[in-house]
Amino acid sequence: MKRIFLFCASTVFLVYVLAPVAWLVSSSVQQEAEITSRPPHWIPREPTLENFEAIFAAKEKQVTYETRRQGDPATGGYIPSTARNLVPAMWNSLIVAVAVVILNLVVSVPAAYAMAKIRFVGRSASIYFMLTTRVIPDIALVVPFFFFIHKLGLLDHLGSLVITYLAITVPFGVFILVGYFESLPDELDKAARIDGCSRLQTLLRVYLPLAVPSLVAVVLFTFLTSWNEFLLALMFTQTPASQTMPIIVAAFTSDFTISFSFINAAGVLAVIPPVILAVVFERYIVSGLTAGAVKG
Amino acid sequence: MSQRSYRRREFLKASAAATLAGTGAFSLARQAFAADPINFFAWSAGVDQVKSHISAFEAKTGLKVAYNNAPWAQYRDTLVTKFVGRAPLDVLWVSDSWLPEWAEAGWLAPIDGYPQLLKYNADVDDFSTQSMMYKGKQYGLTYYTDYMGFFYDEDKLKKAGIGAPPKTWDEVVQQSLKIKKAGLAEYPLMLSMARETWLIEFLSAMVFSHGGRFVDDSGVAVMQDKKRGAHAALSWIVEAVNKHKIVSPACVEIGELNGLKAFTSGNHAFALLGRYRVRTLNDPKQSQIAGRVRQALMPAGPGGSHATVGWNRFYGLTSQAAANKEKAANAVKLIEWFGGKADGKYAFQKLMFMDVGSGFAVKPLFKDAEIIKAYQQYSDIGMYERQQALAKKKDVISPWFGEWDEVNGTAWQAAIVGKSSVDDALRKSADSWNKLRKQG
Repeated sequence: MKRIFLFCASTVFLVYVLAPVAWLVSSSVQQEAEITSRPPHWIPREPTLENFEAIFAAKEKQVTYETRRQGDPATGGYIPSTARNLVPAMWNSLIVAVAVVILNLVVSVPAAYAMAKIRFVGRSASIYFMLTTRVIPDIALVVPFFFFIHKLGLLDHLGSLVITYLAITVPFGVFILVGYFESLPDELDKAARIDGCSRLQTLLRVYLPLAVPSLVAVVLFTFLTSWNEFLLALMFTQTPASQTMPIIVAAFTSDFTISFSFINAAGVLAVIPPVILAVVFERYIVSGLTAGAVKG
Repeated sequence: MSQRSYRRREFLKASAAATLAGTGAFSLARQAFAADPINFFAWSAGVDQVKSHISAFEAKTGLKVAYNNAPWAQYRDTLVTKFVGRAPLDVLWVSDSWLPEWAEAGWLAPIDGYPQLLKYNADVDDFSTQSMMYKGKQYGLTYYTDYMGFFYDEDKLKKAGIGAPPKTWDEVVQQSLKIKKAGLAEYPLMLSMARETWLIEFLSAMVFSHGGRFVDDSGVAVMQDKKRGAHAALSWIVEAVNKHKIVSPACVEIGELNGLKAFTSGNHAFALLGRYRVRTLNDPKQSQIAGRVRQALMPAGPGGSHATVGWNRFYGLTSQAAANKEKAANAVKLIEWFGGKADGKYAFQKLMFMDVGSGFAVKPLFKDAEIIKAYQQYSDIGMYERQQALAKKKDVISPWFGEWDEVNGTAWQAAIVGKSSVDDALRKSADSWNKLRKQG
């Protein structure tokens, strides 16, 4: 009886979670008229790849009176020429996210190891200080960050996003990893040192192989944060040369004549990389996040 | 140990030096690449139309335009950050709601010194020009304008034996009661009174058509004065909901979009909506009452008129551009190209109307054959023009508007749902206005 109940509850929950995603995918290949039909067509009757063609087949060309895209103001169905910015935006998002992930690991792994295994004055204070930086809401950081980025001459440059996203993600990365490294016995550290390992060798050869679940958690958190971040990207980027997916997709929503199914096609592209990442690392996610949470 | 400390210190010094060197290098790089295009920032609407008009401008003048945009929802915050951070900005799309704030902050420059722009005022509806004025100075040229319209379902009126739409708010009551009695609609009038940015537009339309104002010319609150229209407007709504029951008490939960959907589904006979919605209302793909919706002049209250509220978006010139003679000259050329005439025609306003459906404030376009033909397919352009000529700008736009709007919206809603009297609601709103005004 309990198992049946659990099965039913799980099914309901699964439908609840997956239905919006299913609708996103389905409506992205529907005609504009079909997308607003009642009852909704979960399986498209006349599927079309028009939206994806507009995204992938579009060529860079100057927009003139003759080449501008027009639509029906009343019914939507309008795909702007900026559809061609989606693929570069995906690429920008990917570059930023991967760069932030790598640099985050380069900084947070040694930092976490040092904080977990080396006793020094102010060790606890430095951990808490790092965490308190995450208490400040991002909106309060926008103007100071903007000044900094402007001074660096990095406005409308992917570097601005990498720098600021690191400021956001490194404290969390260190926090997760400190907890995990602390849960590993100090004897490992001592044994490696007795065997002649340097600090760096101990970290790389002993601790890192044991810390894979936590590293995966940090990678996922960092990647998803960078991929989805909107506010700072909105402020620091201006042109398609540096704009990321959330900015390009959000820009479509301002135009009340734009095709809904086209926006949904853009949404499908936006969720693909995070979904792939989550599926690949699925078995490490929960263990990584809870690792070190309970000491025993 | 000391050697290790030394290394660590050396490392930190080297890192800091590298950072500073990097900062300098990037700064230099930035300066080296700083060409001087006209920096044009807008919200992301009509992007293709804007780009195509820019292409023509660049071809015509040889000037370059760096066009960027941000979503409407985040536009104000983005611009404020860029202003504070001194990002390069020359020409902007500005909402009339932000004008006092941006002008007071010194981010926008008046265009009074540019007669080549001011000459277009002669062709523009007065409320639109007034919407770009602050403390006696004009801050831009119009890009888009529209107003609150009064719409009715012709079929329902005919079925109820009504020959002509109402001319006064009293007639709205009488006709609504007739329609209600005939069983054609439970709540014949659709009014959106939910707390959202649209609310002030609905309230202003009601107040103006009752001959009223929220504040007088000197900026002092008059909304609480029983002889000044706002009182009559709120009293009318309260009676429509609670006494005549021709407006749903749920109106305080219905926003503009839901109101539109309710009207298109055939639930009502009358509606107050943005004028541009008429195309949707008469589109068979989106509306069950398509082909039956007509626009009438805003009904007049006792001692009032057919006045309504209009809103405006415009091209603004930034103070940083105005401070540089050459930049200002180029920026003004761009503003004229978009907000004035391009090659002797109001090309951009027409483009936006034909492609995107945006309303315009330049009166000569009402005589444009293509525009007339396009608009007549779903509504009456004569009515569009007549009502727009009676539109007024909101009188409450001020640096403290946002804060007051919260209090005012809550006060009107409280009166509508019977939690406060009309007198108390308007006194509360007036007190809030005067207090905020005193604080500056």
